[in-house]
Amino acid sequence: MHFRFSRSEMSLREKLWHVSWSFVLLVTVICSVGFLTLYSAANGNVDPWASRQIVRFLVGLVVMLAVAMVDIRFWMRWAYVLYAVALVLLIAVEIRGSVGMGAQRWIDLGFIQLQPSEIMKITLVLALARYFHGASYQDVGRPVFLIPPLMMVFLPVGLVLKQPDLGTAMMLTLASGAMFFLAGVRVWKFALIISAGLAAIPVAWKFMREYQRQRIITFLNPENDPLGAGYHILQSKIALGSGGLFGKGFMLGTQSHLNFLPEKQTDFIFTMLAEEWGMVGGVVLVALYTLILVYGYAMSLRARSQFARLVGLGLTTTFFLYVFINIAMVMGLVPVVGVPLPLISYGGTAMLTLLFGFGLILSVYIHRDIHIGRRGASDDI
Amino acid sequence: MIRPLLNLFKPRPTLYQGEDESAGMVHLDGARKRAIEIGRTRLIVTGAMFTLAFCVIAGRMVDVTVIKSVTVQHSRQSKSNELGIERADVVDRNGVLLATSLPSVSLYAHPHEIGDKKEAAQKIARVLPDINANDLQSRLQGDRAFLYLRRNLTPRQEYEINALGIPGLYFEKAEKRIYPQSELTAHVVGLTDLDNKGIAGIEKAFENELKARRDPLRLSLDIRVQTVLRNELAKTVADFHAIGATGMVMDVRTGELLGMVSLPDFNPNNLASATPEAMFNRATSGVYEMGSTFKLYNTAAALDAGTSTLSSTYDVTHKIKVGRFEIYDYEPEHHPMNVAEILKVSSNIGSARMALDLGIDNQKAFLSRMGLMRPASIELPEISAPLVPNPWREINSMTIAYGHGMAVSPLHMMTGVSTLVNGGNFHSATLLRHDDGQSIPSQRVLKPETSKIMRDLMRMVVVEGTGKKADVPGYDVGGKTGTAEKNGAGGYRHKSLLSSFIATFPVSDPKYVVLAMIDEPQGNKESYGFATAGWTAAPAVGRVIAQIGPLLGLMPSAIPEPAAKEKARLAQDAPPQQKKGVSLAKAE
Repeated sequence: MHFRFSRSEMSLREKLWHVSWSFVLLVTVICSVGFLTLYSAANGNVDPWASRQIVRFLVGLVVMLAVAMVDIRFWMRWAYVLYAVALVLLIAVEIRGSVGMGAQRWIDLGFIQLQPSEIMKITLVLALARYFHGASYQDVGRPVFLIPPLMMVFLPVGLVLKQPDLGTAMMLTLASGAMFFLAGVRVWKFALIISAGLAAIPVAWKFMREYQRQRIITFLNPENDPLGAGYHILQSKIALGSGGLFGKGFMLGTQSHLNFLPEKQTDFIFTMLAEEWGMVGGVVLVALYTLILVYGYAMSLRARSQFARLVGLGLTTTFFLYVFINIAMVMGLVPVVGVPLPLISYGGTAMLTLLFGFGLILSVYIHRDIHIGRRGASDDI
Repeated sequence: MIRPLLNLFKPRPTLYQGEDESAGMVHLDGARKRAIEIGRTRLIVTGAMFTLAFCVIAGRMVDVTVIKSVTVQHSRQSKSNELGIERADVVDRNGVLLATSLPSVSLYAHPHEIGDKKEAAQKIARVLPDINANDLQSRLQGDRAFLYLRRNLTPRQEYEINALGIPGLYFEKAEKRIYPQSELTAHVVGLTDLDNKGIAGIEKAFENELKARRDPLRLSLDIRVQTVLRNELAKTVADFHAIGATGMVMDVRTGELLGMVSLPDFNPNNLASATPEAMFNRATSGVYEMGSTFKLYNTAAALDAGTSTLSSTYDVTHKIKVGRFEIYDYEPEHHPMNVAEILKVSSNIGSARMALDLGIDNQKAFLSRMGLMRPASIELPEISAPLVPNPWREINSMTIAYGHGMAVSPLHMMTGVSTLVNGGNFHSATLLRHDDGQSIPSQRVLKPETSKIMRDLMRMVVVEGTGKKADVPGYDVGGKTGTAEKNGAGGYRHKSLLSSFIATFPVSDPKYVVLAMIDEPQGNKESYGFATAGWTAAPAVGRVIAQIGPLLGLMPSAIPEPAAKEKARLAQDAPPQQKKGVSLAKAE
């Protein structure tokens, strides 16, 4: 509050002063839990996972702070451009992406393998926030007004579904839905969309890939095929159950170390963690995640501009979806869709995406007192 | 907390398009304020939903970790025994193990899960020295998503691979089929391929049965008889530099085969040794023109039909010419012969004349009753159909009388001759043991008197005729030699013989039929250059009978004095005189 009138032109030092260092610490703590779990997953080796993950985290940390320093108006000005770039990359991956694990999700830039769907998770939030920024309640009430943002959502969702990546498509849709809701779209419209969506289920079933159908059938009844399609989820539940209240102890999880648990270093890492640390460990991790969410929301709400607030809320929601979908998935609450556990699962793109997102949230917080006019210019009171 | 929630459902004033713009600055501020207020209520709703979601997760976590621990019962799909073996054992008639399964594991990899493929390849190669690290590395670096690295690891190797801790390596439960008798029963038991699927012999024929049953499959084979048979055939093949041999022992009362050997053979434990040549079962798959052993059928047919009697005589002094064919005896006799003499000296001319008396229809009917016109019936998949002439003219009838112009498998000979000597009852050959008291399907195809005469005639061949070397003192062996020239490109080849001897013992009440057939034996010094049946196959059969007779619990009828036996042996080994010895069937 003290620097209010000079907030639009803060020095780097001031900005650093305003970074929520407790938030950064929280992120670091969660990532460290991830390093330990990866160390255990490799049977007490930093190779091949933990070491690389640490390097990625350090790179990501720098990126996060760098993003946080950038003025929020910069992001607003470039929101549509970034969205367009991400969309082009998504299309590019459709045209000439290398195929990994049966799905076309990667684009090879030579030095890094890029996953445009991850970039889209952030740029879509930016673009929607930009669109709804300064929209009046009446504007949002007009159905025609909602057509452009709906197009902005459905284009990438369609492309991601075509890859096919059900998990990311789900996350994009739900995060956008939350942003629409927060922007003030009328409740009956959601009711309409949801009922239309339910009615479309039979049609969607027809267009699904065989493995996706299999996952849903397996989700409904995993015991059906314990050695085939239901293997992942059953093994996951066995491992969780064998952990019990306090777990088997660090590096002592049998189900995961004896390779019963598939994908233990990526999507099913929560299971491995809960097997070794028990329910208590799992609850502690969920509590840490909840703290991040609370931070995210609190920081967003402090923002004076609609754009900054929506960006913060959208990204926090995206983070929430990561956590929720992954944990619900390994516990058999939702079908296996391949969403990593944020900050813990082994994987570079998701880590960078998340830390970039946190950087934006920090930027929202640092530049919380900046007013942005309806057209995007600084009010500078 | 409650008021904002209620606000959500409050009716709102209708706003028209453009109202906002015309309202001016003050209204704009009001609209903005309201938007923020609505935003706030919605934030609370969103937050509440997140809280709810986390509660659901937390509840579920308590549920799966503490309350309801899923325990999966590993349902055994195997039906055989405690070890979970998928394939039943095979044993001989006395319970000796012929084929069994050992549990083992196979190692496979999902290469994309392996981090450092080079290091992984080197580590694996250190545990499994028969794997080349460089080869393995290039295989791992290939595009395959799934690779078998090695089958049938020992428990120690499995442990060591596990200890390497390489991700992406997995074990698959497997079992290894073991044949403790190796080559001995190779052609009968057969073998399985890498996937434990039967590809030959009993393993193939009983593929589903072996997977379904718990207790071992009991064959009719007697491993002792099998051993004797194989040893003697192998010795004969070695002595006479033959290219192969086959032999069988059958119980004439049931059709059970106590022994079945085909040489060359293979080691079923080593799939690589199972070449097509080695896997060829001469006893059942091979069809041959059997030569003079067929004269047994000719004689029995003529006697049974009554077209000849034992006292009928035939002129054998002149060759028979039919068109461009000429039927003649190798050692022509210059007096008319009766039926017994024709068989004893194995006269082609006499046999052909008997066939003329018998008639084509009678001959066909008889051979058909003996099971010689259809594929042999046995449990093995490797069987062949006989080659019969079509059309069946008089000349065919005459050559078939002495075993040419029609080809059957050695197994056909076994069933046929068993029928001739057992009183005239036809039993299908079988490789499965008959349980005591189990009824044996049989069919009377021959008069008992004819069978009796045939036994006496066969005894006479051994005592006075071409089969002297098959005699075993005390076991009253009866039999018939057959030496056929093999049919090659451009006609019959004089030097390529198929020498066979088929015998039954004891003649007074036959229990067993024994066959030995030597493929292309070469005469040696001990046989004075002869490669005919009397010198090659007959002695082998004699040695087999001398060993298996006591094994099978048959009492010898007389115990000859050692001196007399020795003398008899010496007399037999004397060089043949001009008109004795063997006759050679020939048709050109």
